[in-house]
This record gives sequence, structure tokens and C-alpha cells, in this order.
Amino acid sequence: MTILRRLWTPRDGREPLSVPDALRRAELRRREGRYAEAGALVARALEIDAGNLHAHLLAAYLHVARRAPAPAKEEFHWVLGHDPNHARALLGLARIAFEERDARTCHDLLRRALRFYPEFPEASALLELVRAREAAPPAPAAPAAPRVERLRLPGTGRALIIGRADGGLIASQPVTDDAKDISEALARTLQVATAALRRAGLGPLHRAIVEDRRDAVFTRTDGELIVSLALPRATDPTQGLLDVNRLWSATHHELGLAAGPLAAAPSSTPADTPGAAPTRRIS
Amino acid sequence: MSGPRLKLALEHDGASRGRHVRDIVEELKRLYGVRGALIVAPDGFVIAAELPGTVEVDSLAALAATLGRELETSATRMGRPSFSTALFSADDGTMFLAASRIGYIVVLAEAQVSVQAIRSALADAVGLIEAAWAPGEATG
Repeated sequence: MTILRRLWTPRDGREPLSVPDALRRAELRRREGRYAEAGALVARALEIDAGNLHAHLLAAYLHVARRAPAPAKEEFHWVLGHDPNHARALLGLARIAFEERDARTCHDLLRRALRFYPEFPEASALLELVRAREAAPPAPAAPAAPRVERLRLPGTGRALIIGRADGGLIASQPVTDDAKDISEALARTLQVATAALRRAGLGPLHRAIVEDRRDAVFTRTDGELIVSLALPRATDPTQGLLDVNRLWSATHHELGLAAGPLAAAPSSTPADTPGAAPTRRIS
Repeated sequence: MSGPRLKLALEHDGASRGRHVRDIVEELKRLYGVRGALIVAPDGFVIAAELPGTVEVDSLAALAATLGRELETSATRMGRPSFSTALFSADDGTMFLAASRIGYIVVLAEAQVSVQAIRSALADAVGLIEAAWAPGEATG
């Protein structure tokens, strides 16, 4: 019976394939980005051996690769049901928890993975990211920044978001219901990018350009303040960076004249000299 | 669009696709001002990589995949189109990220590299992947 289960000739004319062969081929397809073919091979392996842990793990990976987190979670949970300390399954679930904005679950899963496998670079990198997010101070109440709200967008400008690195929204143009969500998402993306840049040895993040088929979003940050300008996708990168730089300087100027949490750190620049305007330095 | 073009022949037979992605990464690595490149699946699996020895591949791949997914899921939540390319500029260099059918193409470059040239090369790389991986093959 075992031999029959391991080498099975299907009735639909497909070539006979053992479970190890099917999984080996599936791994090869995965390495080539051929996820659908890999998935079909894993499915064949599971037809023969439904309890194969490697096959379930591979199925989970392939669901993630195909941007299908729900079935991936099921497969990762199946693996953990049979091996509660399976580091790769713990990491896989942690990554999905991060995507789902469930930081606590993500943190716990990564801690579990690293408890059993301290030398696990992917888990360490993600845990460092999650801890950096947790260490960020809570967002204070948004300061009134009417002068920032009056900043002039360039003629082709579609939207402006001024926020803090913790995700708090300072101002937006136009004022929309989802500006706060956009500010949070932007800050979150920049935190992940910062972690990736650090791992690549490139230093702290200063500028970003994110393009989709409609817009190019130009962003400048110093790790505390974020100024982000959406322009048409066809915008020349140099022009877009010039525009966001101008708004960055103007935002600094306007926030320097207004009261708010960002004024907390006193400056030792000449702006503090008697008679000078009370300007705050953010960077 | 100006800038260097990736000079690769399309190889549509399945067995050569592993080589095909490695060729794409190697061609990106050869561009002026580029320090390294990789293609990582959305699950963090490294499909191909040509990175400096100082960079720990698995850690960077895990964060690059997380960044790609973050950009995608944020766009979905906001009801916006998903990102096509992104760049993140730091003191000592710039990281480019492009979304493709099989995952994310990552390029690490010098700080003063030509943005337009790298974006053009990334668009070519994505086009090559799109052409070689028929619709439905990667995503099923």
C-alpha cells in the first residue's frame, strides 16, 4: 500500500509521478517563478500523500507567491498543527500578520521562530522592523496647521500629504476623508523601506518615488516629517523632486511659525539668537 | 524612453526560464552605477540574486518582499492601482523596486545613478518577464 501511495499512475493520462519527484519538480518550477505549474505538482503530491508536510508548506509558499494570503494561512496553520515549532511556517504566518496590520501576532510568531532557530536572518530582519514600529512614539493629536494647508501645489499637483513618521496626519490637499489613512499607509511603507535600506547598507531614507499607472508620488522625509506630493505619472523625476523639495522647505517654514509637537526640540542654530524668529529645525 | 536596454533573447521553453531570470539579474547588475540586483518572490523566496558580499541576501530579500507587498496591499486598501516601480533614496545609495508577474525586481545603485536609465531598464526587465511568463502561468 505504501508503494502504491508513493508511485501513483493517475487515470487521466498524466505521467506516473512519485511524491518526492512531484515535490522536486515543484521546487524547480517555483525557482523559475512558474507558480501555477508548481501548484499543480504540489496538488498531485497531495493527492497521493495528503499528510505530506513538505507539500503543505510548499503549497503555502505558492499561495503567498500568487498573492493569495487566505489559503496560504490555512496551509501554514496545517503545518504548525503537525509541527508547532516549524520556523518557516511561523515566519510565513508572521509575514501575513504584518500585511494584515496585526503587529502583536506578527511579533509573537517571529519570537517563537527565533526562540527555536536564533540564526534565522529573515525572521530577525522582520522582527527588527516590527520592533522599530513598536518603538515609535504614539501619534500626538494632530496640530492645527492652517498655514500648511495653504501651501500651493504645482499646477499639475494632484494631492499633497504632510504627515509624521508615526503616521499622524498634519495636513492634506485636498482635504479628504481618506487623507489620514493615506498618511498612515505612507508612513508604514517608508518604515519598511527604511529597514530595507539599512539592510542594504545604504543609510537613512530621504526621498521616494512610487509610480502606478496613474500617478507618480514624490516623497521627502527626514525620519520625522513626511511631505508627499502626487503628480501625473509622466512627470519628469527631476521636476517632481524639485516640486517636493520646494514644498518640503515651505512646510518647514510654515511649521516653524506655528505651534505644535514638532517644536519640542529646541534648536541651537542661529535662529535661536535674540531677536530672531522662533524657528524650529526638524532635520 | 532613453537609457540602456536589456539585451536578452526571449526564451520561452520552460527549462530555460531559470536561466532567463538569472540573465535578467546579471544584465541589470552590469548597468552603470548598479551595485546589485535580485528578483524575489512575494513570499520572500530569492529567485535570482547578484548582490555585493556585504549584503545579507535573505534578510534583504525578506524586507524587499515585505516592501513590495506593503505597496500592493496599501494600494488595494486605498482603492488605487498597484505600484509599478518605486525608488527609495538614501545617503549612500538608492534602492529601486519593480513589480512583476513572478515577484519583485530589486536594484541597488549608487546615490547619483541616472533614475531614468534604471527605470527604463526595469521596465524592460518587467516586459521580458511578462513576455516569457504567459498570462496565468505564474498566477494561475
